[in-house]
Amino acid sequence: MNKQSYIEIIGQFYEGAVFIYGTTLLIIYAILAMLSLSAIQKFYKQDKHIDYKLLLTSKLTPGISVIAPAFNEALTIIENVHSLLNLNYPKYEVIIINDGSTDDTLDKMIREFDLAEVDFAYNELLKTKPVKRIFRSTNQAYSKLVVVDKENGKAKADASNAGINVSSFDHFLCTDVDSILDRDTLMKLVKPIMEQGRKRVIATGATLRMANSCIIEQGFMQRVVVPRQTLPRFQEVEYIRSFVMGKMGWSVINCVPNVSGGLGLFDKDIAINAGGYDPQSFGEDMELVIRMMTFCINYKIEYAIEYIPVTLCWTEGPSTLKVFGRQRTRWARGLAQLMFSHRKLLFNPSYGRLGLIVMPYNFLFELLAPIIEFLGILYYIYIIFMNQVNWPYAIILLVFVYTYAIMISTLSILWDQLTHHTYKTWREVAILCITAFFEMLVYHPLIVFYAIKGYYNFLANRKHTWGNMQRQGFGGPRPVIQPT
Amino acid sequence: MLATMLADSLFGPFFRKYFYYYDSYPVVIQIAIFLTGVAIVTTVLAYSSILFRRGRGYLVEVRTKKINTFLDNLITDHIIFNEDVMNGVPLADVQIESAPFKKPVFKQKWVRQALISRLMYFTSSFSGDRNVLFRRLFLELELEKLSFKKIKSFFLSTKIVGLVELTTMGVAVADVIILPLTNSRNRKLRSEARIAYIKLSKNDPFKFFDDATEPLLLWDQLELYKIITTTEGLNIPNFARWITYSPNKSIISFCLKLVIHYNQHEAIPAIIRLLDNKDHYLRVDAINALGKLKAEEVEDRLVSIYNHQPTRCQIEILKSLGRFSSGNQVNFLRNEFLRSTDFDLKKNAARSLINHGRETKEVVQLLLETASPENAIILKHCMNPLIKY
Repeated sequence: MNKQSYIEIIGQFYEGAVFIYGTTLLIIYAILAMLSLSAIQKFYKQDKHIDYKLLLTSKLTPGISVIAPAFNEALTIIENVHSLLNLNYPKYEVIIINDGSTDDTLDKMIREFDLAEVDFAYNELLKTKPVKRIFRSTNQAYSKLVVVDKENGKAKADASNAGINVSSFDHFLCTDVDSILDRDTLMKLVKPIMEQGRKRVIATGATLRMANSCIIEQGFMQRVVVPRQTLPRFQEVEYIRSFVMGKMGWSVINCVPNVSGGLGLFDKDIAINAGGYDPQSFGEDMELVIRMMTFCINYKIEYAIEYIPVTLCWTEGPSTLKVFGRQRTRWARGLAQLMFSHRKLLFNPSYGRLGLIVMPYNFLFELLAPIIEFLGILYYIYIIFMNQVNWPYAIILLVFVYTYAIMISTLSILWDQLTHHTYKTWREVAILCITAFFEMLVYHPLIVFYAIKGYYNFLANRKHTWGNMQRQGFGGPRPVIQPT
Repeated sequence: MLATMLADSLFGPFFRKYFYYYDSYPVVIQIAIFLTGVAIVTTVLAYSSILFRRGRGYLVEVRTKKINTFLDNLITDHIIFNEDVMNGVPLADVQIESAPFKKPVFKQKWVRQALISRLMYFTSSFSGDRNVLFRRLFLELELEKLSFKKIKSFFLSTKIVGLVELTTMGVAVADVIILPLTNSRNRKLRSEARIAYIKLSKNDPFKFFDDATEPLLLWDQLELYKIITTTEGLNIPNFARWITYSPNKSIISFCLKLVIHYNQHEAIPAIIRLLDNKDHYLRVDAINALGKLKAEEVEDRLVSIYNHQPTRCQIEILKSLGRFSSGNQVNFLRNEFLRSTDFDLKKNAARSLINHGRETKEVVQLLLETASPENAIILKHCMNPLIKY
């Protein structure tokens, strides 16, 4: 056989493999769409009759520790802490971890909340950078507040671990101090835990959305608006698809791979036994969830991770390409790191769904997808040069993939609309639907590019520089914060 | 294969007519064309559905707003500001003018349903005399017939709606109808049936405790606890009955919470027997209950079993000794504080010692003076009024 034949054989094999790969992915999306629809309908059918206010007065309400790390948040910290202290829940504490801020974040909190340093018996269940001081408020109105001042750990994970060490209750909610939470967040997230039967609910999550362009007053959401800027708008569609369709679908078969770092309620006992957040990880939220699942399986604890189709948290998405690229490169690197460090779980039947569904899906269709796509583009260019493209067929296939992708995004938007009207006007929904048409052409190539860059950084073990993430803030002046 | 056959039978003639070469395409391309069609149709349907739902939602909102204003005015005029009630006429003699509620508009089912919703809303918002009148109006207008019809529905979600309506409006339902539903496999129906049974059953509202095979989840307990502790005129039984005999662990756990609420000291012997139960979660609940009931007579027993218990139970024993604050176990608590290597045990021992108040002031002071830095900070933590936990 000559060189040409080898290339042809490789080409045919690649085409066949990609066909099977692509078909499987499309089938998975279709299944997820159906599963998520059933889960959403079931949730809302039951939710109609739920009186969440029962939690407000009952002695049986479980306590929750809200953990929010802060680094150089001086411009918005006061408003953010006030909003965390005003959640609708009777039994909770707010733990703010000042992660070695170099601005006056801590001083502002001390003044605003009448903080006094206390002799706090700190139990270092999870290893962190040294905790310098712990403060409590002398003002009864802020008795829920605990402020931990620690050395900078260069990762949100380290600060979150310090928060877990200080927490008093059996469940903790991890969030970002600059995220906007719905007032009923704790009531809604604790319910799946209170409904646990045979299986122990080790984590619950809810939908996140972009806070960009939304109307926010005193730290609370007043009106949800579709982001006006292009990049956050693409992210809005992506988040709807990921949370409303993806995570809701996976939760039906108890295969949720990740509870977002922006909002998640966790079983403290399991989280600590699993080793807490990994400060070395670039995707510490998913890493923790995978380790919690692994721990449960190792110790024969029947577990469940639940998602609810309600938007409870809004976060400011990157609006510039530079910041967006840095975020996505880090996420991709985190995924590669996670897959490498947990490679023993992959296709391992001893780990049940984790080993046979969660890990393989994330390996094949999250980690490998950008690589396969990138190789596909190179192959396409090659066969174009070799004049081997059957253009009518190629166009038919491209149109098919394009229309299918739009269908999936549109269905996600529909599922989201089925249950509640997040957006006030139909025009906003129309804008989202139109965005879906451009997502594959504009946004998706960016995702692929930054993913490949992240994998390269992981393989080359390049040092990650956190840099400064310019955020717009919500109505106030522009704070400069470092992503943790 | 199936997709190809389906595509061929459904779209084949169309494609053959308009795409001459369709039949000559490879199967993969034929499937791709078919699925492209499916994707386009689905997307268009999705858009239509979004538009339709938003449009319908808007109309329903406008309609509901309008009818609710009308109904609220009627209810306000004839019940809330009822002339007889305002003039202090005894409740039994109060006249409700039901004619305005029998206007032709009420023949429409959705209006009657809206009236039920508003009456439920007002019933939840008011208490006392007004609630009796809301219920009377509900019965006079025979709205309960709609609710009973729902209970008989094949659909579980409709059954739930019917039960919620009758429970909220306080309309009695025969035990034979509700009791089987208290063990339904559907969690929500089961939960609503249990609430309804406790609230509406005239005979033995706690009877379903005897037969409950399905677990009482924490959320169910929350709902039941509220109903049991707030329903007026409910005969509260001695919960020791279920603590002793129930095979359902969640029922026992729930009864322990009720025993604490009603301060049922007569249940203490039954709770003490639970200390031998193999399930350590139940033992934790039992020790907790004994502590909250201040069952001092059991403290020697708690101390004697302490070393053989898992940490959760040990913590609960230490807390209970703090709640008793009898002064009999100061040495035990002091030794446990000094000896234990577990942080939580140390902390709870310290807290219980401090809870004794003046009685242990000297002991605590001495401990503070001689303690290691780690122990000293635990003591200071527990003594600090700013730190709750």
